[in-house]
Amino acid sequence: MIAALKKAYANFRGFDLTHSAVPPMEGPLRPNTRLDAMPVALALDGIDNLVRFGEVMMCSSGMRLITLSRAGQTLNAVEAAEQPAPISCLASDGSDALAVGLDGSGIVIRGGKHDGRTIDRLGDAAFSCPTSALFVDPDTLVVANGSSRHNAADWKRDLMSQGSTGSVWIVDLAATGGAAVTRLAENLAWPSGISLKRDGSFFVSEAWRHRVLSIERKGGAPSVALADLPAYPGRIETAMAGGFWLALFAPRNPMVEFVLLEKEYRRRMMETIDPEYWIAPNLAPSKSYLQPIQGGARKMLNRLKPWSPTWSYGLVCYCDAGMRPRWSMHSRADGHVHGITTLCEWDGTLFAGAKGSGVVVVAPILETDGLVA
Amino acid sequence: MNWSVAFSNESVIKFTARYLPRHVVGEIMTKRWIDNAVPFLALLLVVAICGSLVPDFYAASSITDLGRQVAEFGLVVLALSIVMISGGIDLSVASVFSLSVLLSLIGVNVYDWPVPLALASVLAMGAACGAVNGYLIGFLRLRAFLTTLVTLIIFRSLYDILFLRMSTAIMAGFSDSELFFFIGEGLVFGLPVSLLIAGTIAIAWHIVLSRMRPGWRLTAVGGARRSAHNAGIKVRWTVFLAYVWSGILCSLAGFLFAARLGSTGADTGVGLEVSALTAAVLGGTSIGGGRGSVAKAIMGALLILILTNSLVNLGVNGPITSTILGAVLLIAVFIDMRWLRHRTRILAKLYVSPAYLVLPPLPDTAAPDSPYALNDRLRSVEIIGLGEIEGPEDVILDRNDNLYCGTRHGDIVRFFGPDHKKSEIFAHIGGHPLGMAFDREGNLLVCIGGMGLYQVSPDKVVTKLTDETNRSLFSIVDDSRLRLADDLDIAPDGRIYFSEATIRYEQEEWATDALESRPSGRIIVYDPRTGSTRTEVPSLVFANGICMSNDGRSLFFAESWTCTISRYWFDGPEKGKIEPLLTNLPGYPDNINRASDGNYWAALLGMRTPALDLALRMPGFRRRMARRVAPDQWIYPNVNTGCVVKFNEKGEILESLWDFGGENHPMITSMREHKGYLYLGGVSNNRIGRYKIPGADPTWVAEESYWGPRK
Repeated sequence: MIAALKKAYANFRGFDLTHSAVPPMEGPLRPNTRLDAMPVALALDGIDNLVRFGEVMMCSSGMRLITLSRAGQTLNAVEAAEQPAPISCLASDGSDALAVGLDGSGIVIRGGKHDGRTIDRLGDAAFSCPTSALFVDPDTLVVANGSSRHNAADWKRDLMSQGSTGSVWIVDLAATGGAAVTRLAENLAWPSGISLKRDGSFFVSEAWRHRVLSIERKGGAPSVALADLPAYPGRIETAMAGGFWLALFAPRNPMVEFVLLEKEYRRRMMETIDPEYWIAPNLAPSKSYLQPIQGGARKMLNRLKPWSPTWSYGLVCYCDAGMRPRWSMHSRADGHVHGITTLCEWDGTLFAGAKGSGVVVVAPILETDGLVA
Repeated sequence: MNWSVAFSNESVIKFTARYLPRHVVGEIMTKRWIDNAVPFLALLLVVAICGSLVPDFYAASSITDLGRQVAEFGLVVLALSIVMISGGIDLSVASVFSLSVLLSLIGVNVYDWPVPLALASVLAMGAACGAVNGYLIGFLRLRAFLTTLVTLIIFRSLYDILFLRMSTAIMAGFSDSELFFFIGEGLVFGLPVSLLIAGTIAIAWHIVLSRMRPGWRLTAVGGARRSAHNAGIKVRWTVFLAYVWSGILCSLAGFLFAARLGSTGADTGVGLEVSALTAAVLGGTSIGGGRGSVAKAIMGALLILILTNSLVNLGVNGPITSTILGAVLLIAVFIDMRWLRHRTRILAKLYVSPAYLVLPPLPDTAAPDSPYALNDRLRSVEIIGLGEIEGPEDVILDRNDNLYCGTRHGDIVRFFGPDHKKSEIFAHIGGHPLGMAFDREGNLLVCIGGMGLYQVSPDKVVTKLTDETNRSLFSIVDDSRLRLADDLDIAPDGRIYFSEATIRYEQEEWATDALESRPSGRIIVYDPRTGSTRTEVPSLVFANGICMSNDGRSLFFAESWTCTISRYWFDGPEKGKIEPLLTNLPGYPDNINRASDGNYWAALLGMRTPALDLALRMPGFRRRMARRVAPDQWIYPNVNTGCVVKFNEKGEILESLWDFGGENHPMITSMREHKGYLYLGGVSNNRIGRYKIPGADPTWVAEESYWGPRK
């Protein structure tokens, strides 16, 4: 009763009981147009999961696993192999093995000594939503299951139904009698990226709670390494100069935060409307007029303002070894490198893959960039 | 019971949205008199409580007695209120009051002056006392509080000195004036004479304060002294006069008191200034100035008198009564401060009141055989006036191929035909010109948002045709002023039919009206033969485009937020009939104009989105959104994609022209056909588009379609 009264009073006064106020982009996250200024290395619809694999780079586009060769600042697709399901994550062990996440059916190992091994169950449940994988050593794989209820492609539905059924597992590929899995963390709201720290523990981004967790190798309660992000964090890549690259795949939006409080509206929206046209974050601006716009995103004098409220955004943040943001690269509301889902560093060059806009942009990493840490 | 489920039931929502007039609450909050609600409720409460506690509270004699006291005390409170409205304070009211009592008695009892002479001299004395205050505060700019505190003491001392000398003479003397007795004790139609006098004065002051220039100036000076000065008001003189009037009203109150009691004592008027101040603040008169009224003064006076009289009747002793009054003053000051600070915020929260609206399922625009099939025909149009104009909501062409459009700077710009490269400012009106039409004589008639209906003659003379219509009977907001005249067209007999989009919002708040989707627009007719303006069709949901049909007896009008275009017969056998023509457009219709082939063009200013269509069925969701989410973040109709459709009188869509993605023409609000081309305007664009219509009559001119070939 008292809780209900408190809630009614907070509703009346407009207090934020749910921590749904979106923090402003400021300090290290101050907006710029660096992503838009970067040259395009490759244009490919649905580009995702860039990963170094020996002397080539691998990426995915839908169900195709694509081999890319590098020529300076451009990438060329040389070979493509069809997989049985859409590829939702990739990981390389640094030599000849590739872990391929297949949306809805878990992870399969291609090449190396564990070639053909599949991980399709995590404990008692099916492994249906591989969002990220990481080889700790050639026999040990860490995987994230984004949600136990939705597939990776259904991320929007998981967000809008306020899912928190994700988990992180460590997989011993060398174990006798098939891969042995151990749970590191559970009840996560869409774990979407894993990175290895120097001390052997992991950083895991928890997208729907807009934060990055630190998880010990032996499990236990995760601690919060970075919180209150103004966007949903995804993949984390280790930077050669020390520190990490953090890709944030979609912006938080006050209207979405409001809809997340509106249970009945969300239910009816999810039941009756195509996810493309929901009030929800997006990887790229919709081409259709059926997607709602916000007041500030109205074109004035025929121009969309860069500071318009937006459902999609491009954001890469460089964080130091302790996961503190140092500086960032942006593509704002009017930009064209939205929905960065994957990052890959190769010989002093950063490749940023924007799944939303379907491009890979490239930038040399300046010494000063790393030295900021 | 699970309330959230019970209330989310759509039929309940529908019922409450239809029959629970939530918007009325917000509209009442915009009224100035809403300030009186709290003191009025307090008055009712006090009457109810005291009436049940005090014996004989409602007896005729008590009420008559109360009436006489109200007359005297009310005048003092009114005096103080006038000064407070002007931004000052007058603590000397009590001393002036007691001096007047004394002077009246000296005049009437001791020297046997005739009553009119006594009254005149008392009023003159009051005016003089007020003039001292007014001169010191108004012209010498002394602090009102300290100055009147000092004059309070000086006038009181004068009273004490005179009282000592004259008290025996007053006691010994006796007035045999019938008139003096009548003023003090008489009844007219059962009402005390003094109450009638005070009531007349109160009504006069009410008219002055609320309806006349001196009163408005007084309020302006109290509300913002510097702005009042900048507006040309004589601030010092106004302040001076406020104190003079205060003195006069107090002295009149003293005269009435003297007439009633016929004697005075050492304590006459002691503490009166505190009671009067309490009454004024309790009634809602602001201590900071600029806010107050006669009604507030009367309510405050009644509250205090009833409270003190009842306490006395109940045997509560003096000091405790004063303590209670002090506490009441404190509470009143607190409420006054909180109310003043939060009023606009409460209003902002309560005003937006979304309605329940179900739109039919969105028509398919993806199928190639749909009349709305997507295309990019407007993407590559010629562009006119790029960057020279901002916000051409409507465009129109005359017989000489000149192109006219409005801009958000309040100009009408003319591009010279036939190439439209050069332009001039044809007229400057000041408000954003919206819909336009040429009449038979070649005058350009324009709807101006926020201003009304204007006419610009060919020699550039601007005339206001109308800016108000009849006030409807039950409207709470004043709907006689035109807030958002939007589009117009002219009947063959010269009557001008124009739409007003909404009576609840200004032009720049159109999106809030979209959020509400409430029927608050209308069609109004202006008859140039009689100069009269009447509301013809009320309760339309954002009445927008208007176009005369080719039969000359009916017109088409668009209601934007319901995505409908209807036909209305204003003449002929079917006069008064309204027939929906297009009821399920994929976007929000704006202006409608004639096409050369006898059909009609309609602009869709933005497109429907499923998420917003769903929100329209959930008024509570939109209401909470309006409260919690900043307007820049609200979901809007998708106005970044533009579209033009052509329809016929049977309500069939014949073709659609799109700029999918809105690169050249987001938010198309108007289009005109002229000699085989279609000209496109948009209220937030910086250009006009020109599209060659395949197969259109290259000689067709709209003005000739209305008024025949050039004479």
